[in-house]
Amino acid sequence: MQIILPDRSTRQLDCGPLPIEEILHRFGINPVSIIVTRNGRLVPETACAEEGDEIRIIRVAHGG
Amino acid sequence: MPAPDRRDILCSSTPCSEPAVIWLRDSGQYLCSTHCIQHVENLFARTVEGQRMIAPGDRIAVAFSGGKDSTALLLLLHAALPTWPDVTLLAITVDEGIAGYRDETIHAAVDLTTRIGVEHHIVSFASLFGGDLDALLKGRESRSCTVCGILRRRALTVAARQAGAAKIAVGHNLDDEAQSVLMNLLRGDFPHLVQDAASGEPECFIPRIKPLAGLSEREIVTYLLLTGNYRELPECPYTGYALRSEVRVMLAGLEYRHPGTMKNLISSRDTIRKNTTRVSGQGGVQRCRECGEVCSGEICQVCRILSRPE
Ligand SMILES: [Zn+2]
Ligand SMILES: [Zn+2]
Repeated sequence: MQIILPDRSTRQLDCGPLPIEEILHRFGINPVSIIVTRNGRLVPETACAEEGDEIRIIRVAHGG
Repeated sequence: MPAPDRRDILCSSTPCSEPAVIWLRDSGQYLCSTHCIQHVENLFARTVEGQRMIAPGDRIAVAFSGGKDSTALLLLLHAALPTWPDVTLLAITVDEGIAGYRDETIHAAVDLTTRIGVEHHIVSFASLFGGDLDALLKGRESRSCTVCGILRRRALTVAARQAGAAKIAVGHNLDDEAQSVLMNLLRGDFPHLVQDAASGEPECFIPRIKPLAGLSEREIVTYLLLTGNYRELPECPYTGYALRSEVRVMLAGLEYRHPGTMKNLISSRDTIRKNTTRVSGQGGVQRCRECGEVCSGEICQVCRILSRPE
């Protein structure tokens, strides 16, 4: 799956289905300070992501 | 409308079977787009009503930078206007003159006020203080946010007074408020901890209201995205208060592991405020010797910044 980080850089992640929260932890991102879209739709971070998904992480905190 | 996804988590409002867009960690609720918008509007209305922020006939100046929080603030106030008798809005944008940042946000600000039809005033540091922030900061960039905050507050007050506003609405959200409580405690700044800007003591002082104080940053950004008002804008190039950044990261960590931390911090502050006898500004209202504005010493902070004694 493709991960788009808050700074707009992208990462490729090859792994089975897993909760988005888990992906955030791998990148050291606190779920409290972001929101996520999966294939262009807003989803809770407890939703799952799998092969073929595009996960975009949007930072909500200003100046941080 | 994108196709539904079999993996969708459903909204916890009943009866509703729409896919959830947000999980509210402290209440455990999952909300769909419609219910999330409703939740944000309700929280906003509850904050405004609970603290009696708006009275019939008020002319409210909205501090409108064009950024996320103030955009949500203006939209929510504007949408609620029909529920308040004779209340009018105007937006005030302060142009600090920050190269590479301000032009685009002002553009976004003008777009929105034009689209929804709200009176809009733009005041610049250059016209009020004789120079833009970039010039005023030369040699003291490390204090950028302090200097800018003091000048911006003055610019807003002046513009709001000129426009005949009764109140100034600012976009501080739950996260900002919780950070401020902790920062005031960490700095030992008791006066700022207990001082409530909304109570508006001296007659010449325009009270400030914070209608977004019950909404988290996540709820605000989600609301903007869901209503088609989210816009990616450049970040201010000045680096911010060192302490605030540390407090922000620390509080976000606590909120994640202990949901409700930020709300608890704010309710502790409110309890302290309720139980504190007002330490009325020693000797009553004083006025600045230079500019005549209300201040706590002989010369106000703005005049001190502009005369550059440091
Ligand atoms: Zn729903
Ligand atoms: Zn002065």
